[in-house]
Amino acid sequence: MLKVENLDKTFHTGAGEVHAVQNVTFNADDGEMVAIVGASGSGKSTLLALVGLLDAPDRGSIDLDGVELANLDSGGRTKYRSRQVGFVFQQFNLIPNLSARDNILLPLEFAHWPKEDRDRRADEMLALVGLDAEKGERRPARLSGGEQQRVAIARAFVCQPQLILADEPTGSLDKSTGQKIVELLRSAASTQRATVLVVTHDEKIAQLADRRLEIEDGVLKEIA
Amino acid sequence: MRTVGVVVILAVVIALSISMLIARDAVTAKINTVKASSGNTITVSPKGFFGFNGGGTPLTTTEINSLLNVKDVSAVQESLSEQLQSTQTTLTSPTIAGQLGGRFGGFGGAGSSAGSAATGLPIRVIGTNSPGNAVVGGANGGGTERLTSGTSFSPTSHADVALVGKALATKNGLTVGSTFTAYGKTITVVGIYNSGSTFANADLLMPLATVQTLASAPGQVTNATVVVNSIDNVTSVTKAIQTQLGSKADVTSTEATVAAQLSPLNSVKTISTYTLFGAVIGAALILLLSMLMIVRERRREVGVLKALGAPNRTIIGQFIAESTTFTILGSIVGFVLGIVLSSPITSALVSASGTTPAATPGGFVRGAGGFVGGGSGFTPPAGATPGGGGLRFANLNSSLTTLHTSVGWSTLGYAFVFAIVIAAIGTSVAVASIVRIRPAEVLRSE
Repeated sequence: MLKVENLDKTFHTGAGEVHAVQNVTFNADDGEMVAIVGASGSGKSTLLALVGLLDAPDRGSIDLDGVELANLDSGGRTKYRSRQVGFVFQQFNLIPNLSARDNILLPLEFAHWPKEDRDRRADEMLALVGLDAEKGERRPARLSGGEQQRVAIARAFVCQPQLILADEPTGSLDKSTGQKIVELLRSAASTQRATVLVVTHDEKIAQLADRRLEIEDGVLKEIA
Repeated sequence: MRTVGVVVILAVVIALSISMLIARDAVTAKINTVKASSGNTITVSPKGFFGFNGGGTPLTTTEINSLLNVKDVSAVQESLSEQLQSTQTTLTSPTIAGQLGGRFGGFGGAGSSAGSAATGLPIRVIGTNSPGNAVVGGANGGGTERLTSGTSFSPTSHADVALVGKALATKNGLTVGSTFTAYGKTITVVGIYNSGSTFANADLLMPLATVQTLASAPGQVTNATVVVNSIDNVTSVTKAIQTQLGSKADVTSTEATVAAQLSPLNSVKTISTYTLFGAVIGAALILLLSMLMIVRERRREVGVLKALGAPNRTIIGQFIAESTTFTILGSIVGFVLGIVLSSPITSALVSASGTTPAATPGGFVRGAGGFVGGGSGFTPPAGATPGGGGLRFANLNSSLTTLHTSVGWSTLGYAFVFAIVIAAIGTSVAVASIVRIRPAEVLRSE
């Protein structure tokens, strides 16, 4: 279970201070998919970066299954990300010179999975997101947008993380494909009992989540 | 394509480095060889003594032998020059006093009245303790005595024997085993030599001790050649000898002449050294900028890898591997190219430096033949029959352009070190740049 309490993040810019995240508190259960909606610049991506430990909060607590993460050092945050967090990005962010399969294998290497289990696990993930072995050998440039995002989802889930953070995962896809991707996310989360936080500004996508949170000027509130 | 471009540019710069390294080694080896073998002699003669002109009190064997104790002196060759007048010998000089010879005959020192066109010139007798090795301004003032028949005598010999110059032997019908009279003694010819010098071929070479006895000049020396272990030490040894012998002796060296001859090679060495370091720095900069460009282009990729949990060392390792691959490929191609180009580049550098094989007019070495005789007049030795140091410097100058480039283990070692330096510098800034990349910033910019 993810518990976030009183999270604050302020950026100091030339134009002054920007309070990107202010006193944010929320919970998310295992297997639950939570959508965070908000306009551009509202602070939703910053919130995702804080929870994913890509950035350090100024204040507050991030608790994942009883482990306090906000105070981890750089090495601890890296370790945490490699084993407990999966990321899905709007632009897919696959490594271009690696095949789809090799992209899925990367997090396993970083998390020091047993070598003998890696291939099997990658094949499982390819099957989970509906890609055959032939597609798995292709480089990202030879896959469609939807297929690339499927690879990205497989990569995010491959280490069986407790937390999946998806930042506008349908932003670069057409509506139909986007809907399928969200359904895939939801399905994978359910199968693997992972908590999924989806940041989106698309209400229709957000409605597919179990819960919806709205962030505005860094302040988070639950949408009934 | 970019990879090929980076490797090609690196290869060219590394080839330049290797060529410069090889050129520098070749030039350094040549300079060291020349320094060890030429211009490292000092001529010591009695103060005011000039050929057979001038005065001066003869130096003594004891004084000259004491020079062996001077630091950096490796050998001392001593000689005593005497003039054998026609009344003192059965020999006839092959040299005919020409117009200038007759004119200068009056300056021939003691007994020079015999130097007239009618009676022929006196014969020079050189007592030496280095027979056959008087090339360096030694016993006969230059020229290399090559025995054409017979054998030489011992440096410490007291025997009444002589090596006879080719011209003198021909003039008097002498062969090995022949005898002639000098100073009232019967002298046996033990060898005939050819020195390539008209003057020297009219001389007699005899053991130093024998001449000192026969000429009633016990322990006297009129010329000494001090051999120094390196041209670099000639100045200090010259000063030390001058200090030791004081006002008794004139001490001169050919250091300046050889140094002038070596100057172009030193210029080549300097140029190749600077170019070498320039090329290495250039290669490092090329790799550094290439790696920075690559890191900048792949900034997002680095951010993603960090987000996925890749530690900095893993990402840095990938870039180091990439940089090392560039360096290794560039080094291999550059090394081969450098070896191929090193010889023509070295030749071009030496040619451009002004080192030409043209013979330099021979220097007039004090005591080398003096103004005695000389056909139809004295002509400064040069060209095919240089006298004195002329032959020496002509040979030296032509050999300066003959450089042999080679690749030794030291060159390979230096090349390896340079490659490491290039890779290290080229990667260091990229590594620092990778460490500074924050995944949140990279991914936020989507």
